[in-house]
Amino acid sequence: MLEESLWPLAVYVTAALVLVGGVLAASYWLGERHAERATGDPFESGVVPVHRARFRFHARFYLVAVLFVIFDIEAVFIITWAVIARDAGWAAFIEIAIFIAVLLAALAYLWRIGALDWSPSARRAAARRRTSVRTAPSTPPRAAPAAAPSLAEVGDEA
Amino acid sequence: MHWWLSTPEGAAPATARRAAGSHDAVQEEAMRHNVFLSTLQDLAAWSRKYSIWPFNFGLSCCYVEMATAFTSKFDIARFGSEVLRGTPREADLIVISGTVFRKMAPVIRRLYEQMMEPRWVISMGSCANSGGMFDVYSVVQGVDSFLPVDVYVPGCPPRPDALLEGLTLLQQAVGTERRPLSWVVGPQGVTRAPLPSFRDEKRAERTAQRTLRTPDSV
Amino acid sequence: MSQTHPHEHAPIPAAAPARQAAARDVAAALERRFGPRLFPSGARIQATADGIPTLWLDKARVPDALRYLKTELERPYEMLYDLTAIDERVRDHRHGQPPSDFTLVYHLLSYSRNEDLRIKVPLAADDATVRTITDIWPNANWYEREAWDMFGIRFEGHPNLRRILMPPTWEGHPLRKEHPARATEMGRYELPDERYVAETEALRFVPEEWGMTRGSESSDFMFLNLGPNHPSVHGVFRILLQLDGEEIVDAVPDIGWHHRASEKMGERQSWHTYIPYTDRVDYLGGVMNNLPYVLAVEQLAGIRVPERAQVVRVMLCELFRIASHLVFYGTFTQDVGALSPVFYMFTDRERVFEIIEAICGFRMHPSWFRIGGVAADLPDGWDRMIREFLKWMPPRLREYEKIALDNRILRARTVGIGALSTEEAIDWGVTGPNLRATGFDWDFRKKRPYSGYDQFEFDVPIAENGDSFDRCAVRAEEIRQSLRIIEQCVENMPPGDYKSRHKLTTPPIKDRTMHDIETLIHHFLNVSWGPVMPPGESHFNIEGTKGAYGYYLISDGGPIPYRLRIRTASFPHLQVLPLISRGLMIADLIAILGSIDFVMADVDR
Repeated sequence: MLEESLWPLAVYVTAALVLVGGVLAASYWLGERHAERATGDPFESGVVPVHRARFRFHARFYLVAVLFVIFDIEAVFIITWAVIARDAGWAAFIEIAIFIAVLLAALAYLWRIGALDWSPSARRAAARRRTSVRTAPSTPPRAAPAAAPSLAEVGDEA
Repeated sequence: MHWWLSTPEGAAPATARRAAGSHDAVQEEAMRHNVFLSTLQDLAAWSRKYSIWPFNFGLSCCYVEMATAFTSKFDIARFGSEVLRGTPREADLIVISGTVFRKMAPVIRRLYEQMMEPRWVISMGSCANSGGMFDVYSVVQGVDSFLPVDVYVPGCPPRPDALLEGLTLLQQAVGTERRPLSWVVGPQGVTRAPLPSFRDEKRAERTAQRTLRTPDSV
Repeated sequence: MSQTHPHEHAPIPAAAPARQAAARDVAAALERRFGPRLFPSGARIQATADGIPTLWLDKARVPDALRYLKTELERPYEMLYDLTAIDERVRDHRHGQPPSDFTLVYHLLSYSRNEDLRIKVPLAADDATVRTITDIWPNANWYEREAWDMFGIRFEGHPNLRRILMPPTWEGHPLRKEHPARATEMGRYELPDERYVAETEALRFVPEEWGMTRGSESSDFMFLNLGPNHPSVHGVFRILLQLDGEEIVDAVPDIGWHHRASEKMGERQSWHTYIPYTDRVDYLGGVMNNLPYVLAVEQLAGIRVPERAQVVRVMLCELFRIASHLVFYGTFTQDVGALSPVFYMFTDRERVFEIIEAICGFRMHPSWFRIGGVAADLPDGWDRMIREFLKWMPPRLREYEKIALDNRILRARTVGIGALSTEEAIDWGVTGPNLRATGFDWDFRKKRPYSGYDQFEFDVPIAENGDSFDRCAVRAEEIRQSLRIIEQCVENMPPGDYKSRHKLTTPPIKDRTMHDIETLIHHFLNVSWGPVMPPGESHFNIEGTKGAYGYYLISDGGPIPYRLRIRTASFPHLQVLPLISRGLMIADLIAILGSIDFVMADVDR
């Protein structure tokens, strides 16, 4: 019985491998090729790049990746529970609720300390500005110009 | 690898003109091979001609007219060239729209080298065709000094319609090309029909013009 | 004798009494402060056809004098408008001027006085060095680099004196008189592999040359080339970015990729045949580019333009201002992510081009203005076309406000981003809508009316914060004001000549050549040789689509200019980029680039 249920899976996997391999092989063998001086170089707007792409990135990129992994695994656990939620009963529900609450507290903490802020502080400060447009009176002075609508002063809806 | 010249219409006349000899059997085989492959090549050429993707490249004033050709009134999308590519790897066509500066020439050549085959070049505007009105120390007198050009579009700047006409000419040329299907097997080398000069083709129509509308009224 | 209007030959006075008095006042103030050794031997005040007070100062003391003029003088000269040079070695008409091989010209602008001042410094060919003034005006940085590049004048103390317009491998200084002008004089251009590799390597950015460190303690900085081929830099322009992740630590704008040698070309074209080259300087501006040039020539020769021609010029300039601002509007909204509005705006621009094509004969570069007027009269039915356009545009503008300016995402990406204060703007030589966005009420059409602008009713939009949103909002409102001006042109178009009947306007009206010999002679000479302008210097500045746009012409009494200087608005605008983008993210830089509204041909000429 086990072998019967595995056949479609085997066929499916084989078909997927054949398709992918076929497309890769076809795209490798088909078409024209040329190799000039700059053909293999990375494209950087038409000039030579300053340095290679392997260097010390700032740790904040790692931080974002780690946070993602944590909350992604949290989702894995929750989904695992959700599959057997009905059968597991109230005890499991309370356990998962505690689990989520702990992680929510962690999320709130991260939010408060600014670990989720991506834009630099200068940008955040700049974005808190208001804006307005007015028209200067033409010389010689006249009545208020009728043709100029005033864009109402709107605060930043951040 | 066997290499021979063929005309776009069919391989038979050219190979038939070859001198008889020990190559006959090979050529028989090659002819049969060729008819199948040439049909495939024609199919590939036909599909290429209606989806020539331009590279997002522009230099000067002609670039603004090229951008205008992308907008609603002129609509280059109906010719299949809507998708403007940001990287030369994905682009089929580079339109040298604008003056080619000496400072820019190595950059243009670098971008052209980074384009993948098949790739075509339209030289748009007088400056790209020949340096235009800028016969000065900082301008290359024509992009064909260092790039192979497929279509020249005259104008300063050419109207968007003129660029679209250049594009349709390129499509005709691309549709009659035969390019190798694979870099490993099959016929290599690009076969092209000679491109016509529109000055000659349009001469009859132009010299037949007798009445020109005066600009005194609209 | 040909019948000419009595006012046509009256020359505009070489220097009106009030301006000569201003020149004497400033000279007196400088002499009180620095003593008579400030002035080299020879005349200290030069009279020019444009009436701008022109003083000759000694090179050793000129930086101190400039600092005094900027900081200590009451109602000071706040802005460095232009810094350029003249190769005087083959010039004939220099009566009363001190001997000089290369003359360095500092052109200052005082907003408080509404007055220009031109400081000239004589330099000898074997000692063409002067102290830098980048500590006084930060925008002198690029101007001095340009003077070094084009003339070989060294500026001591300049932070990084390197070529700016020519490639780093170039030899020679192009605007010197011995440098070849034509590409055909220099041999056929070829790009063999060695040359290609050498030039590509020369374009590689080396951060240490600009004083940049490669990294901090915790991370390395990423150095990214934004351009010269990039959709967001609006042309061939390169910005070297020093990035910490996504945050811009520093940026170095790199120009010169679009240098078309318009100034050198001016030394080879006749006064009339140079007009098409002006179109291509600000290539979105069309005939607006012709205007400062022909006004400068007319000022030089004392040519008065008939009223109808003036109003036609104003009308077409405002049409092109609308066309240019529509391109700005569309590309700006596209830069911040809205992909639809640009199609609508370009459709409107097509309507503008229909009108322009009907009147001028061509779309983008009509070259339609002439010295003394315009090329032809308006065709019948022109007012119908324009009235249709005037009905069409206002609802479209209201719609753009709704879909673009009121759009929450556009506001979030542009409000507060790239803010410039008025002091910074004046310090860096920013003019035009970018300056008005900071809250400074200055429009040359109002403050120094030309071509009849004082007869029109229109307002000048001002904003407050000088950020990217304000720069866009100011231009959007300017489109409305331009529509107002065009409407007034249509309602009040005066009858009359479309071109002056002055003998120097080329080519003169043909019907008169059939009647008297003098006109025929002038016609023949003007058509074959071109008009011969009297010797002198003439500068004219207008409010162009991008900002202050001026042509400085020097005539040596010949059929071609001796020196032609184009002061464009976008050149200093790009210089201010690092100041307003440090500490922001790359996406913000894209919004800033869109909001500055520059054109690379305007920058590099």
